Amino acid sequence: MPDPIISIQGVSKYFGDFMAVEDITIDIEPGEIFALLGPSGCGKSTLLRMIAGFEDPSEGRVLIGGEDMTGVPANKRPVNMVFQSYAVFPHMTVSQNVAYGLKMDGLPKAEIKEKVAEALEQVHLSQFAARLPDQLSGGQRQRVALARALAKRPRVLLLDEPLSALDAKLRDAMRLELVKLQESVGVSFVMVTHDQSEALAMADRVAVLKDGKLMQLADPMTLYQKPANRFVADFIGRVNFFDVTQSTKGSAEIIAGPLGALTLPAPVTGTGEHVLALRPEYIRLSPAKEGGLTGTLGDVGFQGDSSIVEVTLEGGKQVQALAGPEDTTMLLSLGTGAAVALSIDLSQARLLPA
Amino acid sequence: MAKRKKPAPFDYARKWPLRLTFLLTTLFLYAPIVVLVIFSFNNSRRGGNVIWRGFTTDYYVKAWNNAGLVEAFVNSLAIAVISTVFAVFLGAITAVTLWRFRFPFKPAYEGLVALPIVIPEICLGVAIAVLFSTLGLYVPPGAPWPFNLTNIIIAHITFSFPFAAMVIRTRLNTFNREMEEAAKDLGASEYRVFRDILLPHMKPGLIAGALLAFTLSLDDFVITFFTSGPDTVTFPVKVYSMVRFSVTPEINAASTVLILITLVVTAIAMRFQTFEDPR
Ligand SMILES: Nc1ncnc2c1ncn2[C@@H]1O[C@H](COP(=O)(O)OP(=O)(O)OP(=O)(O)O)[C@@H](O)[C@H]1O
Ligand SMILES: [Mg+2]
Repeated sequence: MPDPIISIQGVSKYFGDFMAVEDITIDIEPGEIFALLGPSGCGKSTLLRMIAGFEDPSEGRVLIGGEDMTGVPANKRPVNMVFQSYAVFPHMTVSQNVAYGLKMDGLPKAEIKEKVAEALEQVHLSQFAARLPDQLSGGQRQRVALARALAKRPRVLLLDEPLSALDAKLRDAMRLELVKLQESVGVSFVMVTHDQSEALAMADRVAVLKDGKLMQLADPMTLYQKPANRFVADFIGRVNFFDVTQSTKGSAEIIAGPLGALTLPAPVTGTGEHVLALRPEYIRLSPAKEGGLTGTLGDVGFQGDSSIVEVTLEGGKQVQALAGPEDTTMLLSLGTGAAVALSIDLSQARLLPA
Repeated sequence: MAKRKKPAPFDYARKWPLRLTFLLTTLFLYAPIVVLVIFSFNNSRRGGNVIWRGFTTDYYVKAWNNAGLVEAFVNSLAIAVISTVFAVFLGAITAVTLWRFRFPFKPAYEGLVALPIVIPEICLGVAIAVLFSTLGLYVPPGAPWPFNLTNIIIAHITFSFPFAAMVIRTRLNTFNREMEEAAKDLGASEYRVFRDILLPHMKPGLIAGALLAFTLSLDDFVITFFTSGPDTVTFPVKVYSMVRFSVTPEINAASTVLILITLVVTAIAMRFQTFEDPR
């Protein structure tokens, strides 16, 4: 395994009494896209700003390329940042913006010119070099911010909510483009986002944060299929939770609320309260027959290729199921209020600490 | 249901009370100035004379040849220019300090800075005059121009720099802090951030503050009156003393020139002023 390019070691950050980031340890590998994901206020921007040098950790330290960055100011760190507002300098042209960081490095004019041209090429902005930022669209301004940061050849590019200021259509296009750009320049990206689909689609690895604490660090597939706890299961994708009323360590037999007695594929490993998490795609609906688990059909949320179907179980518990195109047709013909049978793929159910 | 019609941009002009208000305010604002300018060309010996007696530029020549008036005029311009430079400089430093730093008693200090704006001018004038005399701060008579104006200049800086500070402070509030961080992130030192990023952002505020300080100084009467001596007469003070004897079209002529100068200065300042939106 290569040495990590960024090593966050036991970092905490207090603002007064308030703990914004709590004892976080993360290693970021060279050449990967790493996402910091979490709800608003969970401390992801604060963590990113500690890497950039705009905040000092209250505890712990940050290493970049193996060097301790404690006490190194932002303007001396080998990383560059793309800000949420892009922070493109309004009184400078596009090429002056991109040249600014190189000028600060004291590079000779000819070299600056060359590197600016190259950076603008990378983000397809060459023909806009002479424009002022207010003559650009939001997406173009973002590219200026990208080119400006990349022109300095940072070891790591930091991006704070890079897509949040763009409209939905552009956002999807930029996701792909950012990934392509990362592949072509080869530097690690560390991006902050509160949008789980963005993190899953773009990142090689994702750190999920909540209230300043690291909840899980894994690749997107693992996060989705094997969430470590209830928070991650809930935050990433759709999920149904069933309260587990009875479980014993070492036994695979549990009782999970309205689902009744179940036999899990593997024995329970922990004690204490648990919930059973089940993604909607592992619940299959069919017209009601005798016996088994049944419920009342609610809304069918048609999404084109599939639908999210609401079902109310006996006892009032609401669950969501994912139906394919054929099942959707069948369910729509049954109509709201019809009785349906649920079949559950227990092998995909996850028992999580509550 | 009937749709409610949205008013077109100039619909307000169809409502007669609004039209009347608009008409009257414009009239009261500009009529005196227009009259003043017109009668500077009136071929009559008395400026207060409202009867048109034919066109002449004689009074411009006369004003030009009135050494006392010209001296006062030049004094006023010199005071305005010098005090503006200092007021904007001090105002900018004050504004940046208030905007940038946190320190104990900051709200109290902010209030203190703004106080000269609300204190009646007459009180400020007396206070400054008393201060000068208590401290014995008087420029000796016969000091070379423009040093003989030092007292007035100091007084003018005192009352105009809070205005400059307020205007610049307001401009700073629209500064996007990420801009500063972005510059630092790209390797800029504190000084370079100030020079390359903050100062260009402040520019419209600096210009607006300068304009304000300049015009405030140019037409100040009350405070100047308390701090000027017989050798150091400014235009407003001179006009006041001339009007006490008789209003001649000379004053109209000199005033017209002054209006022209302010208009030109404002126009130039506006040209330099580009209000970029912070992004
Ligand atoms: N300078 C500061 N002083 C005091 N508290 C702060 C400061 N900066 C951040 N915080 C607090 O720290 C917590 C984490 O802030 P942070 O900006 O890292 O959140 P975030 O995860 O980026 O959220 P968002 O998605 O809303 O940007 C928040 O509760 C915030 O109020
Ligand atoms: Mg944030």
